[in-house]
Amino acid sequence: MASWSKFYALASLILALTASKTVFADDDLPEVQIEEQFIEMHTGPALGFPVFHVAAKGEWITVIKRRTNWFKVRTDKGKEGWVKLDDLRLTLSSEGEAVKVEDGSFDSFQQRDFEFGAYGGALEGVPSMSVFAGWVITENIATELSYSQALGDFSENRYALLSVTHTTFPEWKVSPYFRLGFGQLQTKPKANLVQSGEETRTSDLLAGSIGVRYYLAQNFVVRLEYQNLLALTDRDDNEELEEWKLGFAVFF
Amino acid sequence: METRIRSIFLSACAACMALILSTSLVIAQDNSSDDQSDNDSQQKSVIQPDLKRRDINQASIDSENFEIGLFAGIISIEDFSSSAILGARAAYHITEDFFVEASYAQADAGETSFEILSGGAPFLTDEEREYSYYNVSVGYNLNGEVFLSENWVFNSATYFTIGAGSTEFGGDENFTVSIGAGYRLLLTDYFAVHVGLKDNIFNSEIIGEEKTTHNIEYGIGATVFF
Repeated sequence: MASWSKFYALASLILALTASKTVFADDDLPEVQIEEQFIEMHTGPALGFPVFHVAAKGEWITVIKRRTNWFKVRTDKGKEGWVKLDDLRLTLSSEGEAVKVEDGSFDSFQQRDFEFGAYGGALEGVPSMSVFAGWVITENIATELSYSQALGDFSENRYALLSVTHTTFPEWKVSPYFRLGFGQLQTKPKANLVQSGEETRTSDLLAGSIGVRYYLAQNFVVRLEYQNLLALTDRDDNEELEEWKLGFAVFF
Repeated sequence: METRIRSIFLSACAACMALILSTSLVIAQDNSSDDQSDNDSQQKSVIQPDLKRRDINQASIDSENFEIGLFAGIISIEDFSSSAILGARAAYHITEDFFVEASYAQADAGETSFEILSGGAPFLTDEEREYSYYNVSVGYNLNGEVFLSENWVFNSATYFTIGAGSTEFGGDENFTVSIGAGYRLLLTDYFAVHVGLKDNIFNSEIIGEEKTTHNIEYGIGATVFF
């Protein structure tokens, strides 16, 4: 019987999350004034949803929440709808300044603090998958924690790496980077080979990567990377592995 | 943008200067109109009450781009009959159209027809019969609305996902490609119910010869945005 208990834990977490969704008091919500002739309010947070209301110039609207690049707003008369980022930018704050919000642009990408994403690729010719999360320390340097799994015909490799990335030209949209890391590699032979006496091995791992990242669109970065891994085995020879991978990252 | 801010700022300054100048001129010219100007300022305060507006530039707006939830359904494990499956999913919405999603689910596989008919020794141990997978997918939304009645309207999205991951079954991990389609109905801004269909494709050698297996699952789920 599979262990279902982790789902109970998750279910209670989700319930707690739902319960903790605080409704902000109106006083805490920011307000903006419409400067253009009008602003279109959609029924949902996407262009596909129809415009159902138009708020006129001079009206104050309360900004309730955000989903991707859409903002849920409420007019003074109580109409609630979704306004897109480009429209919200044309409104003014109480000091008459144009409204500034994070927009996932290349500028805000350069000021990011965190990144996470996933890769797919090939490690010595077998499919590999990785997930990673990174903390950006300066515009050039970031640390990253990653976990990968490569599934071959004869064995399954898993490895975890802690690494430091150096991006030499962070101001370029297409920008090369270098990475050095260390971690552990676990190799497990396939079930049909276990009888032949093979066992799961664990060895320390050093990794060096060279890659290029490309800021593709809003909040989205693509990475192409070549990684050279050196497994420090307790046999006579160390094992050298090569990996090519393509992935994406989103940032905050 | 900067020039726009500057021009707004400058015009505001100019307006203020003009106002100060004209008032002082009026006061200097004619003291008898004092009462009148008092009235003016009173009227002004009636028209423009001193409201405290909270500015967006300082306030942090609650953004809800993450979605987390559970799903349950039926999975048909090729050669090993159908079983109940229970899973969890987490998604991050990048734009109104695209999202990335990670999911994990597990089921207990049944027996093959051969095992049932022959009554002989089972192919797999109980532990090996535990089926679980994870995958990371990219999804695309087709946003829309549903009218349950004239005034009862919900936002919804039909979405398609494609991704890769790993399935653990029969004592092995298998590289798995998954293709899915689903429907999300938003009952509130942050609570959604899902109906989904997914094909998990991997190569398996359990029956002997290596073959590509299609493990189709469908089910319902619920998620919250936060």
